[in-house]
Amino acid sequence: MSDLTLEAVDRDGVIAETFDRLTGGTRADFFGKAVVGGAALAAALETTATAQDRHTANDIAILQFDLGLEYLQAAMYSEAERLRELSPRTLEWSRVVGANERGHVKAIRGLLGRDAVKSASFNFRGVTEDDRAFTETAVAFEDLTAALLKTQATQVDSRRVLAALVSLHSVEARHAAWIRHIAGVVPASDAFDEPTSKAKVVRLVDSTNFVTSTPRTKGRRKPRFTG
Amino acid sequence: MRRRRLRAAVALAGVLIGAAVAVVLVAGPSTPSPAESALPASPRSALAPENVALGPRPAAYWAPVVADTVARSRPSGEVAVAAVPRRTPEGTANIVLILGGAERRSGTLWVRVRAPGLPDDVRGWVPRSALGGYTAVRTRLVVDRARLTATLLRDRRPLLRSRVAVGKPSTPTPSGDFYVRNQLRKYESPFYGPVAFGTSARSAEATDWPAGGFVGIHGTDRPDLIPGRVSAGCIRMSNRDIVRLARLMPVGTPVTVL
Repeated sequence: MSDLTLEAVDRDGVIAETFDRLTGGTRADFFGKAVVGGAALAAALETTATAQDRHTANDIAILQFDLGLEYLQAAMYSEAERLRELSPRTLEWSRVVGANERGHVKAIRGLLGRDAVKSASFNFRGVTEDDRAFTETAVAFEDLTAALLKTQATQVDSRRVLAALVSLHSVEARHAAWIRHIAGVVPASDAFDEPTSKAKVVRLVDSTNFVTSTPRTKGRRKPRFTG
Repeated sequence: MRRRRLRAAVALAGVLIGAAVAVVLVAGPSTPSPAESALPASPRSALAPENVALGPRPAAYWAPVVADTVARSRPSGEVAVAAVPRRTPEGTANIVLILGGAERRSGTLWVRVRAPGLPDDVRGWVPRSALGGYTAVRTRLVVDRARLTATLLRDRRPLLRSRVAVGKPSTPTPSGDFYVRNQLRKYESPFYGPVAFGTSARSAEATDWPAGGFVGIHGTDRPDLIPGRVSAGCIRMSNRDIVRLARLMPVGTPVTVL
């Protein structure tokens, strides 16, 4: 039986790598290195789009990916809020940010309509019950989400979708700054921030093993109950 | 006299200036500023996200058992209170209810759970790593043995009420707090009707029964015996009601037998 540690959750070391990059290689010195700051994105300008506009296949794929990420974050923070095992400061963060992420899920689902994908099943492996593991995972998720949205801003076709991504980006950047502060990492010490790739986000999510299969609780075997 | 005229003139001037300012404020500047006219209008976002509240408190959280384990009286304690296998006797994933109160001992995170036991569910601690992901349920089933009814509640509001048959006096349906462990269908046994739910409840009078004497909630081929006290411990309802229940009651639902 393996113990629950961040290492157990972060089997490929991606969360640790992300966190260590922020902390100069040692988690004992959170203030050791400069960290990513918030980047400014100029909102695109458009006047004529309507809500009935059809999305391009490219924009649908981008929004579907974001929806999957929002499901993951909303589920993790909601579970933490329900279980109430975290410190009051972290719990307050998860309460406020959870409400934001659930709002993002609802809005992106509405935008995608019939193209909305379903949520995966998740096993947070004790992260929602362990303050340190939760905080470090949340820092990694929020940083990467904010960085991913910057990348996507250069890839979308529709300016309305671009405006949507920018409106999500600033909120995710605030989440990142807030949870960094809780984790003891400087929220914004660099003047510029770098975008990241979808592949890196996939690698991070895969490394956590949070996405799991649905347990088989239905069967066809003849019952042997007392009758 | 002269002073009076002067006051009147000052008052009139004040009124005229105030009116002029009001006209300008209401009408606004007739043309945009040069900086403003150089900018296109802002785009409308495709999203209008609003915060979404967490919703009603679930009736319970459950988790599948992903590795055979033992529930202990205390985190990392030596006293075992129940074996907790991965599988139910029906071959489905075994599940436990999460009671909350995680504790870390010697690097291992332990969580408090409810698991099947006798005469009631047992409460014990298992390593978090032995469990899968948590699922919330909003439903609760209340079985009233005196009134011979079963009532399904969602968010504490009644959703479905059914007449039931329960255990006869020599093999009574056990009272207490239990939960639904699995759902079986498409088996070939008219005796159990079209759907059967397995619960964590066990009959103290039927421990030698195949698979350990677990109590089920199921349909029947003898609807004429409902309501009544006729079973060997199981809770029977009409096939129509059990099919309706199967649509509304997820696995993990807490069951209270009064």
